[in-house]
Amino acid sequence: MAETFGIDKLFWGLTFFLNAGLVILVLYRKNVRVFPFFFLYALLDLAHGVVIFESYRIWGFNSATSRNIAWGTQGLVTFARALAVAEGCYRILAKFRGIWELAWRTLVTAGVFVSFYAWAVSRGSWQFAILNLDRSLELVIASVIVLLFLFARYYEVAVQPTVRTLVTGFFLYSCFRIVNDSILERWLHTYATLWNFFGTVTFLASLLLWIWALRLTQQQTTAEPELLPEDHYRSLSPAINARLRGLNEQLSHFWYAEGKKT
Amino acid sequence: MSFAFYSFFIIVALLLTVFVWSLRSTNKQTVPFSSSGVLHDFQASHVMHLPQIRRALAPTDYEFVSKKISPKALRQMRRERRQVALTYLSALRAEFDRLMRTARVMAALSPEVTTGQEMQRIFLTVSFLWRYRATRLILRAGFAPLPQLSDLSNVLSSFSVRLEEAMREMGERAAVVADVVSSPDRRRIHPV
Repeated sequence: MAETFGIDKLFWGLTFFLNAGLVILVLYRKNVRVFPFFFLYALLDLAHGVVIFESYRIWGFNSATSRNIAWGTQGLVTFARALAVAEGCYRILAKFRGIWELAWRTLVTAGVFVSFYAWAVSRGSWQFAILNLDRSLELVIASVIVLLFLFARYYEVAVQPTVRTLVTGFFLYSCFRIVNDSILERWLHTYATLWNFFGTVTFLASLLLWIWALRLTQQQTTAEPELLPEDHYRSLSPAINARLRGLNEQLSHFWYAEGKKT
Repeated sequence: MSFAFYSFFIIVALLLTVFVWSLRSTNKQTVPFSSSGVLHDFQASHVMHLPQIRRALAPTDYEFVSKKISPKALRQMRRERRQVALTYLSALRAEFDRLMRTARVMAALSPEVTTGQEMQRIFLTVSFLWRYRATRLILRAGFAPLPQLSDLSNVLSSFSVRLEEAMREMGERAAVVADVVSSPDRRRIHPV
């Protein structure tokens, strides 16, 4: 266990320096104007690392004060991550005004349902409240990202590689945290050290992805599509749906023919 | 507790699967950045040739031929007719895909999208795809009789008129924009 904790500290230090590197990289490449919320998240996460380190140094690793500070600041970081993910959604879909209006409503509704589910099936005890809240938020982030990519795929919207890599980093990190939190909830005492270690390693992997994505300066604005006049959708969409229904009816003729035979 | 515990693992596995699938390359074109791109998808339908196919598949024709040719030749004819039905199914699928792409691109390029229309389209897609796969499987296995195909042109033409008109209007509009953009004096562009 002591060895694991030693490696844990090593990874923790590595993560901290990579996080600092990411912040400097975003500033150096002037990507802060393109991804302001992502920058805020990276900065808050760095500050979170400093605060946790100091609290552990002053009050010790197992003290209640350290735990409260760690979880309290974690809440802020998770909120910043949610904002960074929302920024990713905006950058992918917002230039397509119509589907963006549809997408953000769908994503918010899905988020509410997912958080409700995660909260409903969690352990009722108050000591797990923060853990459950953290897992709910991670589940919401992961679900929203999946829905976002489904939207992009369905409407054939090209996703900028940088945004895709950034969001993928968030997704993988959130997925792992859901699993990690669930295991921790079940085997709280025996898993606590490993939980920290795995969390750090996952964050390290996400950091490497983000550094790779932001190694170059990004364009602040992307090409805007030439939108159709408003009345076209209103007149054409029902006509296309009717035609699709016609094709569906054609298929049903096959079934009808078979039904008569049997 | 146990179900709740495992449910999170199942959800994560599902999310990962769908995520990888959504990132998978589709070799499809992405949304064109001009409205004229929508028009390239709207071409004449292969399915409109159905009357000829329908004649070839007519049961009366089958009954007539069964009296004139050997059972072996009749089996071969039946096989070929099944092949025609499968080809027709493929044409329906291609037509469906083409319309879906037009609808999706149009929705992506529209400043306002209705949830009802989009949901209806998703429902139609799911309904079409499962019927299509099941029908194809049954036809391939040789269990299904040759279908009593109705005249698709009748089914489609009533829906088409408005669509054709709107598309033509859209095409004229796009042509005017393209014409203006390609003219030497670009300072006078007034596309709307």
